[in-house]
Amino acid sequence: MAKIVVLGAGIAGHVAASHLRRKLPKEHEVVVVSPNSNYQWIPSNIWVGIGRMKPRDLIFPLAPLYAKKHIDYKQAKAISFYPEGDNDEQKPYVLAEYVTGDEKGKQEKVTYDYLINATGPKLNFEGTEGLSPGKNKAHSVCTYTHAQEAWVALEEVIKQMKQGKKVKILIGTGHAKATCQGAAFEYILNVEQELRRHKVRDMAEITWISNEYQLGDFGMDGMLLSYGSNIMKSNEMVEMVFEDRGIHWILGAGVNKVEDGLAHYETLDGEYKQESYDFAMLIPSFSGHGFKAYDKNGGDITEKLFKGFMIVDADYTPKPYEEWTVQDWPETYQNPSYANIFAPGIAFAPPHGISKPRKSKNGTDITPAPPRTGMPSGITAKLVADNIIEMIKNPNHELHHKGSMGNMGAACIASAGFGMTKGSGISITTYPIVPDFKKYPDTHGRKLGKTFGSIGLAGHWLKLALHYAFIYKAKMKPFWWLIPE
Amino acid sequence: MTRRISKYKRFMMMNPIVQFFKFIFLSLKVLVIVAGGHGGTRKA
Ligand SMILES: Cc1cc2nc3c(=O)[nH]c(=O)nc-3n(C[C@H](O)[C@H](O)[C@H](O)COP(=O)(O)OP(=O)(O)OC[C@H]3O[C@@H](n4cnc5c(N)ncnc54)[C@H](O)[C@@H]3O)c2cc1C
Repeated sequence: MAKIVVLGAGIAGHVAASHLRRKLPKEHEVVVVSPNSNYQWIPSNIWVGIGRMKPRDLIFPLAPLYAKKHIDYKQAKAISFYPEGDNDEQKPYVLAEYVTGDEKGKQEKVTYDYLINATGPKLNFEGTEGLSPGKNKAHSVCTYTHAQEAWVALEEVIKQMKQGKKVKILIGTGHAKATCQGAAFEYILNVEQELRRHKVRDMAEITWISNEYQLGDFGMDGMLLSYGSNIMKSNEMVEMVFEDRGIHWILGAGVNKVEDGLAHYETLDGEYKQESYDFAMLIPSFSGHGFKAYDKNGGDITEKLFKGFMIVDADYTPKPYEEWTVQDWPETYQNPSYANIFAPGIAFAPPHGISKPRKSKNGTDITPAPPRTGMPSGITAKLVADNIIEMIKNPNHELHHKGSMGNMGAACIASAGFGMTKGSGISITTYPIVPDFKKYPDTHGRKLGKTFGSIGLAGHWLKLALHYAFIYKAKMKPFWWLIPE
Repeated sequence: MTRRISKYKRFMMMNPIVQFFKFIFLSLKVLVIVAGGHGGTRKA
């Protein structure tokens, strides 16, 4: 009998737990430890942030589902890792602290045979002075509560515009090394469309601010896409959309401080500038959770498990951009020091970026961090679950299930406006996610045809269809497992 | 605002009938990419 503990119930944690439970006989225990009582379908937060969906449309409580499916659930947060146990506890364990109810504050040693760390990112608002959701007129859409607050503030700004006030709206990244440009991109286009719907578009100056060197970089070094019968660079496609929508842009900007209605940033040229706004949505940097790890004698072994995020089977040797290869990227998400620990989704430490690293003239790194979107998060979680199942059956088994981001495609359906007849979406697929310049030297490391872009109403329908499909899947309704990650 | 998308292109982008077929095409294309699978990059 094996006990598998999954930390986190986001896309990666929930996918891993649900597949493990479906495939493993009941004598094996599946335990989920996560502080948030709800599952949230994060991609739809964008629509909460423009008031077109309510948080209840994209969340559901985890406890009843897990109870029904025989998954043990602890509403707690992991604090520290003891992969060898300690003097009192022979088994490896994670120290977790309950976050709610009578047990709030109580700590428990959650023992395991296999551990899946799917704790995603820490939203590192502290990394940027003055950036905090709802403070200084700057907002976030990273969680459903943040998105709801963003909508309340945006609605107020729309009211002011209706009364004749001209406003400035600033949307993008709130840190020199932020990632998740895609989410900010979706939000800016949705906000722009909502202003048109409210007939106040002419009252707003909308500006994109980003640490990207070029538009359409998305932390993926940009893309060369098939677009209809043309071949287009992603920066050309995004520029076309922004110009068409009257959106200005500031690039190579490392936002370092936010004051009431004022964002301070450094440019790649080394200049220090400011941009004022009446409403902003700035994505914070993502960091690891700062977990500590100890050996059985209490010695600090954090560096065996973490490098900010969790160390897995990547090649972390520092090297220049020109020497980066797809082989640097992990395949099994297994920790090299402890074979029973895995980290799928955003929780694993990437070997390096994907976009070409750039420094300002003052030496500040202004480069997007590599994104790990929903699809790779789900795929890596599933393959980790499959490998654990094989290890349970045959402990000395080589890991068969592999999925490097250098040999995996991703579909990013970016909402560009909500509405069954007026909505729009920018559908982009890439293969592979991490460019393989050896395999595809003439097409910027990616396979054309599998890397394509498309704009239109169908993109909105697809994004909406995915919303319903993935919530159905997450609720583990009949045949949920037929819906791919 | 600078018009970068022609009236014809915009019509095609927003026409529900054209987009219905595009929706089917996109769904299949995404499915093919997912079903195309994934794997390692290193030689054993
Ligand atoms: C606004 C927004 C829009 C997005 N849109 C898209 C999109 O359209 N398409 C797409 O593919 N991707 C999108 N993404 C990215 C996608 O949401 C992420 O790739 C995905 O959520 C990563 O999954 P994860 O499970 O690794 O992390 P998360 O989803 O962040 O889950 C982490 C989990 O760990 C839990 N946790 C945190 N700390 C602890 C702890 N100490 N102990 C235990 N548990 C803990 C959290 O509560 C959470 O349940 C978007 C992201 C954002 C922010």
